[in-house]
Amino acid sequence: MNKLFDKIVVTGYSAITAAGIGTAPILLAHNEGCSALSSIPDNNSQQWGKAGFFKASDFMPPLKARKMDRSSQLATATAGLALKNAGIDIKTMDAERIGIAMGCGFCGVGNSSEFLTGYFNSGVEGLAPMLFPNTVSNAAASNASIEHGLKGPNITLVQRFCSAESAFLMACRFIENDQADIMLVGGIDELIPLIIEGLRSLGQHKTHAACFGEGCGIIILEKTESAHKRGAHIKASVDNICTIGMLPPDLESEGCKLLLGDCATIKHIGLSGTTTSTPALMNRLPESNCIDISTVVGRSLAMGATSMACLIDSIQCSENALHLAASPEGPYFSIRFKGGLSE
Amino acid sequence: MKNKRVAITGIGVFSGAGKNVHELTDALLNSRSGIAPIDMIDTSLFTTSLGSQVKNYNQLEYFSKRDSIKLSRADQFGLIAAEEAITNSGIQGHYSPWEMGVSMGAGAAGMFQSESWLKEQLSGIKASLTLLRGLLPDRTTTEIAKKFKLCGYQNSITTACSSSATAIGWGADLIASGAQKAVLAGGSDSLSILTFAGFNSLRVVDQNPCSPFSIGRQGISLGEGSACLVLENEEEAMRRGATIYGFILGYSLAGEAFHMTAPEPSGTTAARVMTNAVKSAGIDLNQIGWVNAHGTGTPLNDIVESNAMKLVFGIKAAKVPLVSTKAMTGHCLGAAGAIEALATVISLKNNFIPQTLNFKGRDPDCDLDYCHDGRRPTNSTIAISNSFAFGGNITSLVLSK
Repeated sequence: MNKLFDKIVVTGYSAITAAGIGTAPILLAHNEGCSALSSIPDNNSQQWGKAGFFKASDFMPPLKARKMDRSSQLATATAGLALKNAGIDIKTMDAERIGIAMGCGFCGVGNSSEFLTGYFNSGVEGLAPMLFPNTVSNAAASNASIEHGLKGPNITLVQRFCSAESAFLMACRFIENDQADIMLVGGIDELIPLIIEGLRSLGQHKTHAACFGEGCGIIILEKTESAHKRGAHIKASVDNICTIGMLPPDLESEGCKLLLGDCATIKHIGLSGTTTSTPALMNRLPESNCIDISTVVGRSLAMGATSMACLIDSIQCSENALHLAASPEGPYFSIRFKGGLSE
Repeated sequence: MKNKRVAITGIGVFSGAGKNVHELTDALLNSRSGIAPIDMIDTSLFTTSLGSQVKNYNQLEYFSKRDSIKLSRADQFGLIAAEEAITNSGIQGHYSPWEMGVSMGAGAAGMFQSESWLKEQLSGIKASLTLLRGLLPDRTTTEIAKKFKLCGYQNSITTACSSSATAIGWGADLIASGAQKAVLAGGSDSLSILTFAGFNSLRVVDQNPCSPFSIGRQGISLGEGSACLVLENEEEAMRRGATIYGFILGYSLAGEAFHMTAPEPSGTTAARVMTNAVKSAGIDLNQIGWVNAHGTGTPLNDIVESNAMKLVFGIKAAKVPLVSTKAMTGHCLGAAGAIEALATVISLKNNFIPQTLNFKGRDPDCDLDYCHDGRRPTNSTIAISNSFAFGGNITSLVLSK
């Protein structure tokens, strides 16, 4: 499917990753060929992109932080940073017109394993009811919406390495059909040693899960009219989103053509998910400035939002940029931006 | 959804209340519940053993041994329901693979298998690797897309108990906006220790079969299963001579931004979502014949949903039956919205309003018409199906015959 948009702009973004806060440290490390990956404790042969510096209490009262799982803490903190970057004060706006769409990876798995471990070790006496509500994938988006008072459309999606892109498409549609003026759209991933153990059990630590990362990226999408009305600085406009679910061998060429279209004017390309290990796509890309943040902060299921934020941060006014995301069995997304406001 | 009318041209279900559309229809017509003692997990430590489990399920009746090992219980349920829906839609071959997508809602997904992996790990036993394959809730969507070669859009919505209602609304929006020609939309979920122990730990599970909107209700009865709908643009469906089971007229969703588990007591957000769904359908409130409630049977949820009805329908609220089919199907979490949407479609098509089972007496705080007295004939052609979730995620679908 291929959807064109002409009235949606990006007015803010932020990220919390292993590289630090915001997009600047990621881009700096990327440009200098550095990495924020570190050794996994008790496993020196493998690295991960753990945002070990992140302390929720830097962003919210400790008592509040204690009620949230790590994904929710990361999402709530990043949402605050992104709203600030966009110059949005929700208290002065109609909260029912502001929503949130999050793609997530292993959110809730940490709480689920902790909850179940209590049960397996000690029976019903070991059950901690406080952990259960945050075992759901939508805990991060919901906690962020509760903390920031976002009463518009609220959605969480998981779709392989394109979870954030899936959220991005839905958020654009909510704005397009007037369900919201502003959407926070992001991706959130949480890493715990158990997840690495699980990935190792499946043999995926040798393939696309070799250097997994965690963190959160959030982009503020806004109706152009709304952005103009409040005098917001427009960082980019959303031109087009194209997605296909699969690339079957017999339809590979046709699928790539549908997904990529004409790339002649593209100046910058952001590569997310497993795009770099998908030759059918890589071979069809033009010579451009490519940004692959997985070398800096690790690859993750919902890394797309951070990747898009870094791409937008890299483009100048009127420059065309392409965000490309792939998953081992699909789906695939291409999202086109133009720097500044589209003519 | 102003552009194209969205027709439902295929339906499929696999649940504790019925293993296909014929069986679920029969259960709805005869007010028969699937709630009974469950045996797939050890419930001896809990105060109840009740749930709506898919009984006597033998995966090898549906899948080869090789495939059954790779697929979680939730994936299997999803594939079975999808197969029924795709088969009776007759859609295969009518569109390009790129024009057909999948939009599924999910909940605990493969947790039933994955928690066995954790248990074995904790016991120091080398756990079987395949137990982890369906852990993430997107697996069902991927498997359905692969099996039926639906190469267009694919997505998994994970907003707990409203997941699959949203997946259907979003799937319909993809058709209405012209983004896809056909979408397989629905949800799948399975019982697990995590959810059984979790809801029990929150003390929101009824020791008896759940009794929505009744006095003395104590909470939910859990369930499992899958339901799928094939959605198409009405004109194209008619052109190819498809059977039309009903229509998705509109939907809406929002977050309450109130509390992770407790609903906002006044029902204001739920009322806003229902009202917006009706607006998106382009119809008048008076055209709504009845509402398939989220109706979990928890003391608070049922009052809040009743309050929301009063905010939406005003003095006419008591004349719009608010029924819960969860006393038949159990609360199927990530699949609940899809199973209830399908129950609504079946009821509309057969001109009846289903019964809310297990009435124990009137609750003064639930003072509307809940169809406790029995299935009722109706001429109504339009109904709402509500889904509420942890985190305050609320979705309403507007469905018609």
